[in-house]
Amino acid sequence: MIAELKDKLLNLSDDISLLILGCSNLNSLDDIRINALGKKGSITSHLKNLREYDDVSKREIGSLVNEIKDKINQEIVVKTQFFKKEILQEKLNIEKIDVTLTPQDNDTGTLHPLSRTIDELCAIFADMGFSIVDGPDIESDYYNFTALNIPTEHPARQEHDTFYLQPNNDGERKVLRTHTSPVQIRTMEKIDLENFDEIRYIIPGRTYRSDHDATHSPMFHQCEGLVLGKNINMGHLKGCLIEFCRNYFNAENLPVRFRPSYFPFTEPSAEVDIGCRKDKDGSLSIGEGEDWLEILGSGMVHPRVLEGVGIDPTVYQGFAFGMGLERLTMLKYGIPDLRPFYDSDLRWLKHYGFIPVDNPSLHSGLNGVFS
Amino acid sequence: MKLTWKWLLDHLDTDCSLDQIIETLPKLGLEVASVFNLAEDLKEFISVKLVEVYKHPDADKLNVCKVFDGKNTYSVVCGAPNVRQGMIGVFANIGTFIPGLSIILKKGKIRGEESFGMLCSEKELTISENHSGIIELPEDTRIGISIAEVMDLNDPVIEIEITPNRGDCLGVRGIARDLAASGIGQLKDLKVSKVKGEFDSFINWKIDLNDGKKNLCPKIFGRSFQNLENKESPDWLKNRLLAVDQRPITSLVDITNYIMIDLGRPLHAYDVDKIEGDELIVRQSKNGEDFVALNGTTYKLDEDMLVISDKHGVDDLAGIMGGERTGVTEKTTKMFLEAAIFDPISVAKTGRKLNLHSEARYRFERGLDYDLPELVMHYAAALVQKICGGKFSKIVNFQLERENKHIKFNPDITYKLTGVNVENKFSETILNKLGFKINSIDAIWDVIVPSWRSDIDGVADIVEEIIRINGYTSIPTTKLSRNNYIAKPAMKTKHRQTFFASRTLASRGYNEVITFSFVNNVMAKQFKGGSKALNLVNPISSELTDMRPSILPTLLQAAQKNNRKGIEDISFFEAGPIFIGDDPDEQINTVSGIRLGYKNKKDWKNELVNFDFYDIKLDVLKTLEAIGLPQNSLKVFKDTPTYYHPGRSAVFKIGQTVIANLGEIHPEINDFFGFKNPVIGFEIFHENIPFPKRNKTSRPMLKLTTLQSVTREFAFIVDESMDSDKLIQVAKSSNNDLIKDVLIYDVYKGNKIPIDKKSIAIKVFIQPIHETLTDTDLEKISSDLIAVVNKKLSGILRDE
Repeated sequence: MIAELKDKLLNLSDDISLLILGCSNLNSLDDIRINALGKKGSITSHLKNLREYDDVSKREIGSLVNEIKDKINQEIVVKTQFFKKEILQEKLNIEKIDVTLTPQDNDTGTLHPLSRTIDELCAIFADMGFSIVDGPDIESDYYNFTALNIPTEHPARQEHDTFYLQPNNDGERKVLRTHTSPVQIRTMEKIDLENFDEIRYIIPGRTYRSDHDATHSPMFHQCEGLVLGKNINMGHLKGCLIEFCRNYFNAENLPVRFRPSYFPFTEPSAEVDIGCRKDKDGSLSIGEGEDWLEILGSGMVHPRVLEGVGIDPTVYQGFAFGMGLERLTMLKYGIPDLRPFYDSDLRWLKHYGFIPVDNPSLHSGLNGVFS
Repeated sequence: MKLTWKWLLDHLDTDCSLDQIIETLPKLGLEVASVFNLAEDLKEFISVKLVEVYKHPDADKLNVCKVFDGKNTYSVVCGAPNVRQGMIGVFANIGTFIPGLSIILKKGKIRGEESFGMLCSEKELTISENHSGIIELPEDTRIGISIAEVMDLNDPVIEIEITPNRGDCLGVRGIARDLAASGIGQLKDLKVSKVKGEFDSFINWKIDLNDGKKNLCPKIFGRSFQNLENKESPDWLKNRLLAVDQRPITSLVDITNYIMIDLGRPLHAYDVDKIEGDELIVRQSKNGEDFVALNGTTYKLDEDMLVISDKHGVDDLAGIMGGERTGVTEKTTKMFLEAAIFDPISVAKTGRKLNLHSEARYRFERGLDYDLPELVMHYAAALVQKICGGKFSKIVNFQLERENKHIKFNPDITYKLTGVNVENKFSETILNKLGFKINSIDAIWDVIVPSWRSDIDGVADIVEEIIRINGYTSIPTTKLSRNNYIAKPAMKTKHRQTFFASRTLASRGYNEVITFSFVNNVMAKQFKGGSKALNLVNPISSELTDMRPSILPTLLQAAQKNNRKGIEDISFFEAGPIFIGDDPDEQINTVSGIRLGYKNKKDWKNELVNFDFYDIKLDVLKTLEAIGLPQNSLKVFKDTPTYYHPGRSAVFKIGQTVIANLGEIHPEINDFFGFKNPVIGFEIFHENIPFPKRNKTSRPMLKLTTLQSVTREFAFIVDESMDSDKLIQVAKSSNNDLIKDVLIYDVYKGNKIPIDKKSIAIKVFIQPIHETLTDTDLEKISSDLIAVVNKKLSGILRDE
């Protein structure tokens, strides 16, 4: 009896295995599972009919049924995995996109090359302990000229091509500052001599001269620098400006030359040149070759300028410098012409502009990445 | 300032080469602008003999010449009228660059006759304007040698930029003196023999100046000449003047110009026969007086210009230009020569008022050698006599005594100011070579400034002279290390604001531009500016007359320029100043931007969408957030300036302070610029943002809840004119503790909604704090919200 039942069960098991093997989809596999192992399934039902057997036979049949259940379950799991894989494969075969299509381009904007240069300058000078200050574009004659030791009818005034504003009610004729130097005076006037040790300022900003051609713009940018203390001498001027030039042009061995010159508000004065090679095709390599390129003016603050703001030149001394930012930008980034700086041509802005995430700093590097 | 190499050697005794001189000049502060040697350009031009000349068979005006250079014979076709057999001419072979024509000579065939070169005129060699015929060299000229050698043209021209302080270097001698001081040679003595005149001057000086005005002409010298022959100058003089861009005129004029370049000393020559009376009067001009200058122009003088006049009227505008009436001509046989010192400021003022520039004015303004006028009377007399013959008179003069400047100089100051150690002995040598005299060599020196250095007036000037000649290379390089232990931020708050605003806007797709600070008057007025105080007296063009009251107009112009190039989708911003008055605190730094056109491109995936108000609103909010202003601190108002569309613009304020204007630009302005679609713009006044002074870096504690938030949706019918943000505020206020956020997800007008109403759908985010909310709790929150909206806004919950 038992043997018969065992045979029957084993046959049944084989039949079910065959069914599983021949099954063609997940639904029929589920039907097979229910028919075999469900509550009323062909295998399960045998467990219910064990009452008529003795305990030993019960145990024997029971363990056989469980064995068969495990085996069938295992076969179903394997088959299920097979079907799922097949379905996924089918899905993958259908799910395709054309990866060569162009994505929607939300253009990132750009920062202007000039503001880039100002940021680079600030990073370099900040490292030397300078702070940024600024002053007004509309100046009085006093700050722009007289206080800088350029009295009326001084020949140096003629080189300035000054813009004048209509005289105001007091008859005073204001000017658009022709250089950033008046901010020197404004900052020195604010010094509290009782608590004064040293100042280091840079002053980037807009400047104006009544001149408009291929190499002049009625508005342009300068950066002024001022260092004043008790023991600041021309050696510091030289050290500071060499450090600046080499950092800005990222050339450790950049030759820097100091040459006597004249500015009414400094004495002694020095023009600063950097070494370069001017090739016949008009291109320029900075830091190589035998030629020199003038890039900034500097000097020790003139004693008369100090006296004018109430600072004793026998106690305090310092240096000042000034540079044209358009020129520095053009030299570093190979921009050939001045005028497009203010033309706002979108193509130019995109070509020469900088991506906004590239913040110039000494630790991330100063050489900007073009957008 | 131009000079030639040989001219320099008249004053400087040196073994140095031209290259060494060129290298030294900039080290002294004399910047070399250019060096040009005509001989280099002309080295391929050689002297030839025209051995045979015959008529061109097919052209009446042409000749065929056989020219011989000592080795070869060439056949040249020539059209010059003065060509003749046997003459010595200047020949250029095929392949030679002809500077006057800017061409490289090629083999030519002129009416069937081949030509293997060219016979040249002076113009073709750029040595003069003469093109009337080919150059004819003296008969005894050797053939086959370079023309530069034959014509003595091998004299390089050096152009030097003279800084405004160095009036003394506006003469060859001054430059030679600087070079000599640097050790490159010896300054030669100026050879002048002081000869007394043989007769009394025809003309005498009369100084007609008040005592207070005598300083306008502290010194004036004169001397008469007679029996002169004022002809063409000799070649050596003409060549020198031509080399330095002075046009030769007649000998007497040429001599005055020569001395001006040579010694930096302008002179003026009068024709004695044309002077009315026997006096020249130094006086100030009368108002309205006419003066016809040598340049042929009539100038109206006003009352305080310094002039020299005779009985008839003004003969010379002191220090600037002589008059036409009494100037010398070829017919002049009697001359009166003037050398004076005039007040530089007076000269500059007069020159500026009359807008009259001259080489003389340039030098007078920069200060002349006070001691030179007397000497130059003798120097000039010798030269005049050599070239024009004749006799000269005794000198007539007027002068105020003037002492040379003394400066108390402590030699230690050189080290203190420059860090350079110069031996006292060497400092002394330098100063002496430059013409300074040192009276006492104690701790403090008494330094006497030479008469030609009016620019020197303080200790620092003397230091500069010493280290300039000693060489700037000797200045040490001292590192300017950071002077504080803590790195101070270089930027102030306002700089940080623009820094972050710029980066936020650029990452949102804006391109930064920099535009001019000025606009035209119409535009200034359109944008609430255009006041007189901000109007330029001398604008560069009528488009750039007024300081801008807003950045928007220049941004709109920038966009317009791009539109005209076919670029239509534009997002520009600028961080820069605007002006509401001419005082320093009336200049305001702002950040402004505009967007126009499509915000995307039409492609396989997306339809075109125009920029609208809300794009800009988000840009502004994000920018303000980036510079530290949270959105919820702002209130929205609608009183925008008139250049915005009144119904499509807004103002963000904190209290009464305007933080930003934004919206569509007024359609009239839009039309004016010719934009097809609305332009949306904004102005951020970041300097108005109040910043708490805080150094705290720690933030409030973050409390995270594990309870899930719940959302509920409502739609209300409200008045059409109601601002949507009111609904948000009111909905929130119904339960401030639990309602975290309210979002408008639909605004609907039209079908089923009364004409004066609109439907606003909101999604409310409810965040439980202590425990999960029950259905009853949620029911209560909803009904409270509906009730409050109803009560405060008369909003009615819309039936689904």
